[in-house]
Amino acid sequence: MNLIKESIFLKRILLFVILSLTMFMAACGSKNAEGSDQETKTEDGKQIVTFWHAMSGASQEALDRIVASYNESQDEVEVRAEFQGTYDEALTKFHSVAGTDSAPTMIQVFEIGTMSMVNSGHIDPIQKFIDEDGYDMGHLEENIVNYYKIDNQFYSMPFNSSTPVMFFNKDAFEEAGLDPESPPQTYEEVEEASKAIVESNPDMKGFALQAYGWLFEQLLASQGALLLNENNGRSGTATEIGFTEEQGKSIFEWVERMNEDGTFANYGINGDNMLAGFLAEDVSMFLQSSANSRDLIDNAPFEVGVAFLPHPENTEWEGVVIGGASLWMSAGKEEAEQNAAWDFMKYLQSPEIQAQWHTDTGYFAINPAAYEEDLVVEMHEENPQLKVTVEQLQATKPSYATQGALMDMIPEERKIIEIALETVFNGEDVDKAYSAAMEQLNRAIETANKARGE
Amino acid sequence: MTEAAATLSQEDYILFEQTKRKHRYKQFIKGMLFLLPSIVLFSVFLFYPLLRTIYLSFFLTDASGAPTVFIGWDNFVTLFQSSIFQQSIKSTFLFVLYTVPLTIVVSLFLAIIANEKLRGIGFFRTIFSSGMGISVAAASVFWLYLFHPTIGFLNIILDTFRLEKISWLTDPSWALIAISVTTIWMNIGFTFLILLGGLQSMDKYLYESADVDGAGYFYKLRRITIPMLSPTLFFVVTVTIINAFQTFGQVDILTQGGPQNATNFIVYSIYREAFTNYQFGSASAQAIILFIIILIMTIIQFKLGERKVHYQ
Repeated sequence: MNLIKESIFLKRILLFVILSLTMFMAACGSKNAEGSDQETKTEDGKQIVTFWHAMSGASQEALDRIVASYNESQDEVEVRAEFQGTYDEALTKFHSVAGTDSAPTMIQVFEIGTMSMVNSGHIDPIQKFIDEDGYDMGHLEENIVNYYKIDNQFYSMPFNSSTPVMFFNKDAFEEAGLDPESPPQTYEEVEEASKAIVESNPDMKGFALQAYGWLFEQLLASQGALLLNENNGRSGTATEIGFTEEQGKSIFEWVERMNEDGTFANYGINGDNMLAGFLAEDVSMFLQSSANSRDLIDNAPFEVGVAFLPHPENTEWEGVVIGGASLWMSAGKEEAEQNAAWDFMKYLQSPEIQAQWHTDTGYFAINPAAYEEDLVVEMHEENPQLKVTVEQLQATKPSYATQGALMDMIPEERKIIEIALETVFNGEDVDKAYSAAMEQLNRAIETANKARGE
Repeated sequence: MTEAAATLSQEDYILFEQTKRKHRYKQFIKGMLFLLPSIVLFSVFLFYPLLRTIYLSFFLTDASGAPTVFIGWDNFVTLFQSSIFQQSIKSTFLFVLYTVPLTIVVSLFLAIIANEKLRGIGFFRTIFSSGMGISVAAASVFWLYLFHPTIGFLNIILDTFRLEKISWLTDPSWALIAISVTTIWMNIGFTFLILLGGLQSMDKYLYESADVDGAGYFYKLRRITIPMLSPTLFFVVTVTIINAFQTFGQVDILTQGGPQNATNFIVYSIYREAFTNYQFGSASAQAIILFIIILIMTIIQFKLGERKVHYQ
């Protein structure tokens, strides 16, 4: 008797579970919104500014200190910094609440989200506040201004900028008989150095490249190649990729050659594993954002060197594209709230704050005056590696290639490139991987244009 | 007289019909009232999103997910032509094939040995089912460290035996296996608990009479335990299959769909399409396809499974 009841009961549960699970699938496609508390004034009458950001770890601590110092410096505005996950996640959240009361006053968006923010229609260009306030953006780093100025106006306020650099293990270089003061500059030199490293220490690989679309874009820019046509999407809407087969393949073939030499360390898409591998002396050179400088220099048991991004021997080094993020103003907020946020943005530009930010993280100061601050001068004396970031940016030649590409499908482009890079890392045919990726890239551009009704 | 009776009975009949209809209507309203809470919940959280997903699958969308251009069946056509989506379906089915049978065999084995009456068996029951208490995220991070190429425990073991290190998460032929192992480990707790529950509720008299007849251990296992457990097994199989199709957390943390899309299961592909590429239309189309696949699989299981299941 009991058993019968039980089996009927089980059957019912089963039906219910199946019904709910299958139905719930459908919900996967729809978006979820997350709100934040919506008073605009604190109890003692301060204007509240909600600030969404994507800084985690050491950078988050540094940012929180800056926000606290701003809140203490005056008694009219209270900035509330809220961590919203990675850049991708924060941007997705913003898109789902944009235009509602739950939207933050200001949000930090990574450089490749620029076009998608402009197209969203839920932001007020920063240019409006610059004009009203008579603020001068002339004191900012020229290359940063180049990236964020679109059709002669600023849509967002630059904030944290970094560039990719090559980190290398100076001690390992010395052991292998290489000169740690003149790191390799071209792909070919990197290959030679890698061979020397592996020869002197078979437990250490020469070079690692993370399968990361951002690095691919940077390696294109360093040899003067465009990512998208229409001058990287800056002269008009891009309709296809802008680099030639030779330029694009140079990066793939570089990796292939090192793979064949047995000097390449494959960490796939995992940047943290790569950092851990570098610190554990499993690999001697790798490319990563300069924002990691401080962390690496402090934690490595050996001396860390920082070098410019390499380029193929038969090309001129052209420079790097600004990476990092900028700050955006939500549309549809009260004027007082927006002005308070604008004041905070200006505070972030000040030389003192930029000096603190630069030395705490390794993001470079977007306001060059910061480099004259005592804090920075001392830090650069102590850790001359941090200076390389700054020098690399200043050596960059302004051009469409180093201005960087603008388009809303760039996050998708990165995924496509990452998969192609992984394919090559795993020793598969370069031609096949390359042509498959190019086909997907062009289709993604086409779909993105079609979705905008163009 | 007869005429009057006839009219009367006809009037009676109409009245009777009316009352009956009224009664039925009342019953209907009453029934609806009882169902109302679940109808409301289902409509808001299931039916509306389902309809919305179907609607979206015929559009291209902007970054916020608002439909912009109607393109008919194009999303579906593109998907079926895309080698990435085909690979994604293939990996998903392979994953189901790797995880479901192994999870059930291992948990069944554990449940049978944990069903013995021994001193301190409660300790082992707790250990075997403790996987249930670990969240997907925590378990994945734990395995992420085990799989680490240089400092990971698994590769250290291989190294001590002078075996070649395995790139668990970066080699496309190993990544699917790595994710499967993680998933099996995580699912054992739940499956074990349900199966043990099924074993515990069996009537002892069956075994007693089998003992009288002189049946051996494995004979009893094959002829009594498994058939009596079949409703529970059926439940576990169905739920495990659906779970396997919906795997997301471990993929997101361990491989993010890589390497070379080897672990880009359909649910992860939906997530990536919607929240990285902002192609909500194409993502919705994939969701619909997954819905249909799971629906068909479940119908097939009910048709085939019901025949074999022994509901006493």
